[in-house]
Amino acid sequence: MSELLKFFVKYSSWFLFVLYLVAGLALLFSRNPYQHHVYLSSANVVASGVYRATNNITSYFSLRDINEDLQRRNSDLELEIYKLQDVIRKYQEKVHADTMTTDPALSRYQFLIAHVINNSINHSHNYITIEKGRLDGIEPEMGVIDQNGIVGIVNIVGDHTARLISVLNPYLRLSCKVKGEAQVGSLVWDGRDPGEAILEELPKHAKFAKGDTVVTSGYSSVFPEGVPVGTIVSGSRDREDNFYTLRIKLFTDFSTLSTVRVIRDSMKDELKEVEKEPEIKNVN
Amino acid sequence: MSKTTVQFILLGVILVLAQVIVFNHICLFNVAVPMVFIYLIVRLPITLSVNWLLTISFVLGLIVDIFSDTYGMNTLACTVLAMARKPILRLYVPREEDLPRPEPSMYTLGTASYLKYLLTMILLYCALIFLIEAFTFFNPIRLLLLIVFSTILSMAIMVGIDSFMTPRSEKRL
Repeated sequence: MSELLKFFVKYSSWFLFVLYLVAGLALLFSRNPYQHHVYLSSANVVASGVYRATNNITSYFSLRDINEDLQRRNSDLELEIYKLQDVIRKYQEKVHADTMTTDPALSRYQFLIAHVINNSINHSHNYITIEKGRLDGIEPEMGVIDQNGIVGIVNIVGDHTARLISVLNPYLRLSCKVKGEAQVGSLVWDGRDPGEAILEELPKHAKFAKGDTVVTSGYSSVFPEGVPVGTIVSGSRDREDNFYTLRIKLFTDFSTLSTVRVIRDSMKDELKEVEKEPEIKNVN
Repeated sequence: MSKTTVQFILLGVILVLAQVIVFNHICLFNVAVPMVFIYLIVRLPITLSVNWLLTISFVLGLIVDIFSDTYGMNTLACTVLAMARKPILRLYVPREEDLPRPEPSMYTLGTASYLKYLLTMILLYCALIFLIEAFTFFNPIRLLLLIVFSTILSMAIMVGIDSFMTPRSEKRL
């Protein structure tokens, strides 16, 4: 018995090593972000507290760039408004109506403003932490955008913080399309460049040109249709494949993320209910 | 708790904060990521038992993992690094009993041996961390670039930390 004890004491460091190794491996292979627990993520109280404190200082650093982006986006939207007002006026003339009802589809979405307190771009799986959580109305699977384009999807929600899966994470796949076209592909990050992503599985009859804008398809309740994603850099098609694979330059600059908007879809629950797999009933 | 214990806890806290707040967000030329918090594992006293070294490294890796959402990557690499520390030290320091102080430093090991020891530790760590990361995307050239340039950058930063970590009494020698 004492020999056995001696053996254990002598090799205790190896046992400990194996134990820690197994624990580390267990963590590593639970990488799927949908299985993560809030305590082991950057959305926990301590980590988010530290990030919040530093963000109070560092959030001032890139204000100039962000301001420029906002101004540009603002002018784009203003132009859009003028264009739409023009269209509305033409229709009014056509139908001789004083007022026009607008499309109710847009009021489906609400925006919640949140600050990014932590963000990475150099890992193979990148995540973002924001300082709004469950008590602010954030729920998992909400889409997140900033002034330039898409950012990610909410994954873990704490009371006052939430963690997003960044677009720069291969676990995120988004249904996107070329603006003005109907064919839908799947946007995914290939881990190479934080400024570029891949749009794959675009059907071969899709039409596109270099420089075309890619937007979200609106085929899920996460993002509304038409949120800007990026522009096409290059496209290729495998000979035996029936799909195009396009390289997309992302609009969002992930290195200077600061303020983002979380999208709340008021029809989400309804959609989920409708899309539920119907139970197969016995007809006989 | 002795003065040294408090000093090492303080060093650990500072290194972790520096890593997660500053260094995690640096990626020079898209290939060089500084891995600075392992400086604690480098500097822990040689007289510390392997069990303690392993435990400290495991916890250190886990904390950095939690902060940076890297799930087990740093934990694994730190655990392996802790186990490999003694053999690496043996490579460059044949008789560790004669050392004037138990902590590995330029003063105790001599500049050449210490730098070689530091470089080996960082290289091993960078190789481990980027190999683990490469399980998802395998791109051998980028992997090699990441390992080499991250090692160089981390080495430069840690030598910098060394220069103001060393007490004045040691510098005079």
